[in-house]
Amino acid sequence: MIPLTLPSTSDAEEPFVTRLWRKPQGTHGPFESVLVDEDTEGLAYSGPAGLLSIDGASADSLDGDIVLVQPRRQRAERLIRAGSRHNTLLVTERCDQLCVMCSQPPKKTHHDRFDLLEQSCLLADPGVLIGISGGEPTLYKERLLVMLERVLSARPDLQFHILSNAQHFDAFDVDRLRAPLYRKVSWGIPLYAAEPELHDEIVGKTGAFGRLEESFAHLINAGARVELRTVLLRNNLTALPRLGRYVSARLRFIEAWSIMQLEHIGFAKGRWSELYVDHRERFELVGGAIDHATMRGLRAQLFNFPRCSVPPAYRRFAIASISDWKRKYAPACDRCTEKSTCSGFFEWHPDEEAGRIAEPI
Amino acid sequence: MTFLPLRLRPMKDGNVLCVNDTGQHFTASEDYIGRLAAGVVANADARRLRDAGHILETDDPLGWAAHARGVAERLSRAGSLDYLILVPTLRCNLACSYCQVSRVGVKREGFDWSETTLAAVIRTIDALPTNRIKIEFQGGEPTLRPDLIRAVIAACERFEEHEFVICTNLNELNPEILKIFDRPDVFISTSLDGDASTHGHNRTGDKGATAHFFMNLRTITSRYGPRKVSALPTVDPSSPPDVDSLIEAYASHGFDSIFLRPINFQGFARKRHKGSREQDDAWRAYYGGFVRRIIERNWQDRGRVIEETYFSIALRRVFQPGRERHVDLRNPNPLGVDYIVVDYDGTVYPTDEARMLARSGVIDLAIGTIFDGWDTEARALLNQHSTNLLDPACSRCAFQPFCGRDLVDDIARYGRIDMPRTETEFCRRHLHLFDLVFELAYSDDPAVRYSLSRWLRLAGNEAEFGEIFG
Repeated sequence: MIPLTLPSTSDAEEPFVTRLWRKPQGTHGPFESVLVDEDTEGLAYSGPAGLLSIDGASADSLDGDIVLVQPRRQRAERLIRAGSRHNTLLVTERCDQLCVMCSQPPKKTHHDRFDLLEQSCLLADPGVLIGISGGEPTLYKERLLVMLERVLSARPDLQFHILSNAQHFDAFDVDRLRAPLYRKVSWGIPLYAAEPELHDEIVGKTGAFGRLEESFAHLINAGARVELRTVLLRNNLTALPRLGRYVSARLRFIEAWSIMQLEHIGFAKGRWSELYVDHRERFELVGGAIDHATMRGLRAQLFNFPRCSVPPAYRRFAIASISDWKRKYAPACDRCTEKSTCSGFFEWHPDEEAGRIAEPI
Repeated sequence: MTFLPLRLRPMKDGNVLCVNDTGQHFTASEDYIGRLAAGVVANADARRLRDAGHILETDDPLGWAAHARGVAERLSRAGSLDYLILVPTLRCNLACSYCQVSRVGVKREGFDWSETTLAAVIRTIDALPTNRIKIEFQGGEPTLRPDLIRAVIAACERFEEHEFVICTNLNELNPEILKIFDRPDVFISTSLDGDASTHGHNRTGDKGATAHFFMNLRTITSRYGPRKVSALPTVDPSSPPDVDSLIEAYASHGFDSIFLRPINFQGFARKRHKGSREQDDAWRAYYGGFVRRIIERNWQDRGRVIEETYFSIALRRVFQPGRERHVDLRNPNPLGVDYIVVDYDGTVYPTDEARMLARSGVIDLAIGTIFDGWDTEARALLNQHSTNLLDPACSRCAFQPFCGRDLVDDIARYGRIDMPRTETEFCRRHLHLFDLVFELAYSDDPAVRYSLSRWLRLAGNEAEFGEIFG
């Protein structure tokens, strides 16, 4: 596992964003820090606010990373790691849904750090895709949209992918989201069932399904880019065929439909046996949903499905979806010819279960 | 308030096919349709129908947005010009009985591009704003002028994607031509009417020439594999070949796609094959039998999937809007926008059929020239009518969302474009085609589902191509 937060001390008073370099880069802007010393104790950088020390990682592994330093909490968050395709900015930990399997259970308080996140985006390498997640980012919709607009006006080469429960889009957003810069923004939105009661039960909010449909109407009218996400659970597996029909008729505007296997963390960890369903037992339901969507000209994909657990005809849909920093493989995977294109397992997936699933191809 | 955006069509089995404006469909009994119209179907059914877009309620904003988007999704959007059909020469070394393109003898002079014409074509290519290009070399027999083919290919190197199709009778293969074929971006399209006796009767004439063609075809497929080569049969509907021997002729060369075309009522075929003006039920029965036979064969030999090209195009238009880029079946069907035909003398036509009509002296449908451009009044006039959206017959037709519009075909057959739609060959052909698509889509025969699933490129076998109510 790649650590995303490191112990750090700094002369600064307030949190700040800086980009770490092993060697001087020619011209230095106000947001760059250069390594001055590396020993067994840790790393020392000279930065915009004086000396910055970071422990627990080599200067090589951090070279080019954009970090958020929090002097009072004595830590540095690696916001945008150089060379990684899996960078996600957490904009809030508050959420207005309470999904049964939530991988990142919400908190009540919110620390606004949009300005710092905006700075970090502006420092990013050309052309990178930046993820935005929460909590629920659109609880701070105005702050969020302003940040996207500012960053993309200055850096039209960047792209954003935002995970949202889409409970907060309204008719006033349509014109705004039609602006050309929003072609660089896609929204990852979950829908768990075509039955309103079942979806509401899973997300822990009465009326969520209806509100989601309203948002979808606005997003269609705005020409927004949407990736639809469905996490597989014991109680929505058999609802999948109907969801497939629903998506293929009502949500044809989506760019992709991602059917996702459960992540063993957060609420799902404590409720694993009640929520987790082994897709190998009833793969015909998953395969049927993929076929139905494909038949209707939609792009379906499987996230977090180790390729060996998927019948050969459907393996092309199973993509390497797990972010590099939280991905692991079972010991048997070393012998597999498809390891490089496989999702593998989440770092926190029980080893015993991973071992039971892995069958090298 | 409730709105049902449905068009109906009776099916052979007595049920009714219901297609909404976006092309989503279901079948039901006539009785059920009556109850649906009266608003007395069960709540669970109403919910399913609503989710599929067949019932629109005023308090369902997502339903309306999806409906509007679904209608828009069915409309083709022609991009900027990135597909050129070029006729570098009208000369040909064969004289097929139904030559569709009109041709002149191989020794005639003045039927090849001049230096000026070549220069104008290359100027046009140089000015294209796109980053991809597809060029089809037609004729005549384009391989009589390999120098012109090479000059055009050289002008296309600057595009990110370039693809060339050379339509050839394969009568003559020499090292110079093979060197062009060797390029990975060059594809070969030829005619194959069936077994040697059929092909010889229709095209090559004597036995020696026929054997020579088959030898050349074998040379090409063994040198490049079947992926690089495609073949099309032209079928004389008055004496169509035996279905199995035609399929066999294709399968034996490794061809999986067969585009079954009746003689086109164009070019010299108008004179020699008068019966080709309209196809009758016998042709349609032959076509349907052909598709069903392929389905049987695919089921018997699971290792190989054969398809009838136009049926697959129609099938994909029904199920996968926007995927199919076939320019002969789309709506609206703008002419002279994303593709053009440049004749041997530099005249620009909207389609190859339009070129044939002009050549036969029926009507001059030229829209301009490669020297002076083709953004002309003639093109604008054609494009005012190149849609099925406002036609009174089409706007009630269950197949309108999938169907197209072919002005040139109407002019070729009837000399006018304002025929009652249902009295045209284009309409009869496509009604039959889409009837067949839906008859098969609602079949519960596993062999049929297997083939449809393959033709739609699915991983598994689809269990439900459409919903069935009451």
